[in-house]
Amino acid sequence: MLVLTRKVNQSIVIGDDIEVVVLEVRGEQIRLGIKAPRDVVVHRKEIYDQIQEENKAASGVDPKDVPDSD
Amino acid sequence: MKQQTTETARFGRITYTDGDLVSFDQGLVGFPGLSSFVFIQHKEGSPFRWMQSVDEADVAFLVVDPAHYVDGYAPEIAETSVESVGIVSETPRLVYTIVSIPPGKPEEMTLNLAGPIVVNLETGRAKQIVIEDECYPIRHRVFEKKQSEEAA
Repeated sequence: MLVLTRKVNQSIVIGDDIEVVVLEVRGEQIRLGIKAPRDVVVHRKEIYDQIQEENKAASGVDPKDVPDSD
Repeated sequence: MKQQTTETARFGRITYTDGDLVSFDQGLVGFPGLSSFVFIQHKEGSPFRWMQSVDEADVAFLVVDPAHYVDGYAPEIAETSVESVGIVSETPRLVYTIVSIPPGKPEEMTLNLAGPIVVNLETGRAKQIVIEDECYPIRHRVFEKKQSEEAA
């Protein structure tokens, strides 16, 4: 992993068209601004991980368990 | 269109044409390699459909129109997040939520309201969207808990 030290309002660039700016540091929280092309998807990792886990769980549903129409 | 067949774990051999396919260019979250799925009606009159992978016989997702269980489900889907499947404001689309049911426990069914599937009806291209809004949980429980479960 590449490790860089940045101050508030400084940024890093990833490739030609992604920029991540440190907007604010408050205690343990850091606010980041991300400039990226519209087709680049950016999510907080824990949300993405949870969706992935839920998809895996949902991929094995048994037709026997599906409720009849209410 | 030419008919094709594939073996599935749940439904045996199924027949479909290219027009029946929905295609996820980027796969679903956690299933990046699976791009082609076919919708299969669960039972006549049932609100549920299966989204069966054409590539993996044992992968099928149970899906439902969220409006069937959740009033007013209308998460904000950024235009930029569906542009990649060719959806612009006027494009007809279908929104489904993936349903999860723990084995043998239909009463514990949950809907993933944070990861809806959006299908472009004109082209069959589809995408799973990630909604970052606490109003839309990943495990939205449909049926109320039984007292015995609450005590447990």
